[in-house]
Amino acid sequence: MRPRDRGASTERLLQATFACVARYGIAKTTVEDVAREAGVSRATVYRQFPGGKDQLIGDTIRWETARFFAELALAIEHAPDFETTLEEAIVFARGALKQHAVFQKVLETEPDLLLPRMSVDDSLVRAMVATFVKTHLEPEAGRLAAGLTVDQVADHVSRLLLSFFNAEGSWDLTDREQVNVLVRTQLLAGVFAETLRHH
Amino acid sequence: MPVIDLRGEDRIVEATLRCVARWGLSKTTLDDVAREAGLSRATVYRVVPGGKDNLIAMVSAVELARFFGELHEAVQGAATLEDTVVTGVVTAARHLEHHGALKFMIEHEPEQILPLFAFTNLDRILDNVRTFASPYLEPWLGDDARRGAEWIARIVLSYACAPSPEYDLTDEASARRLVRTFVMPSLESRPLTKEVVSHVSN
Repeated sequence: MRPRDRGASTERLLQATFACVARYGIAKTTVEDVAREAGVSRATVYRQFPGGKDQLIGDTIRWETARFFAELALAIEHAPDFETTLEEAIVFARGALKQHAVFQKVLETEPDLLLPRMSVDDSLVRAMVATFVKTHLEPEAGRLAAGLTVDQVADHVSRLLLSFFNAEGSWDLTDREQVNVLVRTQLLAGVFAETLRHH
Repeated sequence: MPVIDLRGEDRIVEATLRCVARWGLSKTTLDDVAREAGLSRATVYRVVPGGKDNLIAMVSAVELARFFGELHEAVQGAATLEDTVVTGVVTAARHLEHHGALKFMIEHEPEQILPLFAFTNLDRILDNVRTFASPYLEPWLGDDARRGAEWIARIVLSYACAPSPEYDLTDEASARRLVRTFVMPSLESRPLTKEVVSHVSN
């Protein structure tokens, strides 16, 4: 059982919103539902989220996205170099997105309400991917091909990384052998001064 | 290719694109399209029986065919792999950039346009591009042409969706710089097929 109103923490309200979206979808979720789910009054929700439903949904998507990137950071923790980091990132991301039941459901039934909030031209996901790529590329800046900067490569690689998070295309991204070839022959082609070896 | 427009399909497609470029997809009705095309409502409803969803599907299919037609014409004169890729990239980027209807939707109706370019729909687009573009790359890439085509499509789409501080793919010199930096090294490495992969690892 959930303890009743102890003053709602932001996290608790986001969790409640997430649960409501899982059950009713984005369009049908109301502030009332979230309040009930969290065991607080509507007034408490509005005190915490003056923007009401719009803010709840936006913040929940941001919160869940941040959680995804936190898990991603764990998944690539032990990668010895940038190319392995990207491989681990792709394998993790495809698996995590496929298994994320709520994301898959909303993506199928309400893509118009979800995607604009996390899309490539919104700063949210793109900025997070770019920061992720840049952070891991920086220590290996000395390996870059002549004339390339960290910023330039990070921008390019994060665009394409996002593309693979979106769609597998002709690759099976659950197959590590294929991901190894993809990263070394496409994603990082031209990036490093040395030619990358793959399986 | 000029074909006689027996059913008014071309006029309906043109009219739809003009309406969407003017006030967006969500506000465009079949009546608007009829008025813009100078056709009766009855004609429009006969050509597009399923209403707006079918209209969108029809316009998308016609537009995609036109886009591929434009690409086909453009790469005819290209003699090398690099020229073929650069010409394809520039033609595609310019097509997307100058597409009034797409432009309006990207600016004002992200909820309408984004789902068409993300996840399952992105897979569908990549599939179409692979099928269309790989024959043009096959003379140089053989079996790797499909993945090469997909790689190039991903690059064009990701740069078209969000402007880059570094490359403007509608500009030939800029596109060539990108292609030389990031695309040719991939196409020239060519170790994408199974045989080559196992050969290299031996």
